Amino acid sequence: MRRPLALAAWLGLIAAAVLVPPLLGDYGVAVALSLAMWVALAESWIVLSGMTGYVSLGHAVFYGLGAYVGVLLWNTVPSGFAIIAAGIASGGFAVIIGYPALRVRGPYFVMLTFGVAELVKYVVIDLEAGLGVFSRLILGGPSVIVLYYVMLCLAAAATAITFLVGRSRFGYALRAIRENEAAAETIGIAVGRFKLAAFALSAVIPGMVGAVAVARSTYFEPLSAFDPVVSFTMVTMAVIGGSDDLRGPLLGAAFLVGLSELLWANAPQIYMIILGVLLAIFVLFAPEGIAGRLFVPARRAVS
Amino acid sequence: MTLLAVQALSKFFGGLQALKDISFAARAGEILGIMGANGAGKTTLFSLIAGHERPSRGAIRFEGRRIDGMRPDRICRAGIVRTFQIVRPFSAMSVLDNVRTAALFGRRQERSHARATAQAREILAELGLADRAEDAAATLTLSAQKRLEIARALATAPKLILLDEVMAGLTATEINEFLAAIRRIKERRDLTILVVEHVMQALMQLSDRVVVLHHGELIAEGTPKAVAEDERVIAAYLGQPT
Repeated sequence: MRRPLALAAWLGLIAAAVLVPPLLGDYGVAVALSLAMWVALAESWIVLSGMTGYVSLGHAVFYGLGAYVGVLLWNTVPSGFAIIAAGIASGGFAVIIGYPALRVRGPYFVMLTFGVAELVKYVVIDLEAGLGVFSRLILGGPSVIVLYYVMLCLAAAATAITFLVGRSRFGYALRAIRENEAAAETIGIAVGRFKLAAFALSAVIPGMVGAVAVARSTYFEPLSAFDPVVSFTMVTMAVIGGSDDLRGPLLGAAFLVGLSELLWANAPQIYMIILGVLLAIFVLFAPEGIAGRLFVPARRAVS
Repeated sequence: MTLLAVQALSKFFGGLQALKDISFAARAGEILGIMGANGAGKTTLFSLIAGHERPSRGAIRFEGRRIDGMRPDRICRAGIVRTFQIVRPFSAMSVLDNVRTAALFGRRQERSHARATAQAREILAELGLADRAEDAAATLTLSAQKRLEIARALATAPKLILLDEVMAGLTATEINEFLAAIRRIKERRDLTILVVEHVMQALMQLSDRVVVLHHGELIAEGTPKAVAEDERVIAAYLGQPT
């Protein structure tokens, strides 16, 4: 069996990630932090969109809400609480909007999630303007290295959640919903409840990531916290990597973070163009993603 | 003993009345055939019993309990499962995973993966799909996909199974195999079956009793032989002289 080998690869990856700060210095930590952030976001997105086929193009709203809650609480409560509160707020918000939103499928769900994210962005902008605040600062936050380790934990947690969900009874229900929702209902799956649970679960870690990211950038400004590019990037990473495999977002995130480091340094003006072209190429020629191409046959959960 | 009782059931789609005041009962352990031409209301009746549609009037009782208007997953947990006329496999999933998923949910809501897998494998063997267990459902032939549809339904451990035209589009040989398979399945379980079938001969052979629907109305009920000789049925099928 390949099990021990796979386990060794995962352990090696974790060890390498832990050793980044002492070995690679400031620049290495900055890139690794961004990588860990995107892994956490894209892995979370998979739980909903990869498994159920309900493609969310509005996951930036959970990241943004987490950042907002984080910045509001950061200086008043211990930072661990701020991060957890951000996760709870995003998960709770997902339950509230998921209840009506998950009644529609396909392109309607895509548009609805995108619309909700934009709506929340402008509500927060108006709220902040009404309060007379144009950006909020975090002073004396934790060091970048501490934030990196926190983000690494979130990335590991998101990957573990995707792994566990994929092999569980819950994961079977989600895949059945993706394949044929009416048939899933017919065989006794409470589809509404499972979709809502997947939506909430996929929102919690992005909320926590938002709170850590805002501490890293040291300021909160709604236009960048709720930037739809965050949503687009999550989708692009998952699609490029392969969206029904927990290794997919990992590979997609590594690929895109690496690419963006190269391009921002050398050709920042064409970064978004290359991202778009890549997404089109993968959707057309390799819909199963890097993971699907690399690890054939893509084995599903075995028990 | 009455397992399923359909009482004065009506269904309107806008101005169109698909079912008019239908009443009949299925006894525990029988195979009840539902006959009728296209548009007679057979599939609508199944959709109402399985919870995919809400009745406009009337009641459906299962084991004495009202189930009309309940969600399909709750009806499945009560012990009723339907198959679809146009098969709806979980295409990208393996044949085994299709059936295993049904075993994990269904009436039992099985928590143990090992037990669900064992049940699924047993049912696949019963329907001659064991050697295709690891293949994606999409790669099966139509006949095999229809068997998968039944396998998945059986994995929910139903008390009542609604078979919607499972033999449509099959060859004569395949139909004979299907009839044998359905009888075998029933012998091994405590199962009641409602069958909608266009293949008349198959329906007559299989059913203990038959109800006949015509333009949404129930026009006859009885043994296959009695129904085949019923004047209203003959008129409905051969057309009435005008």
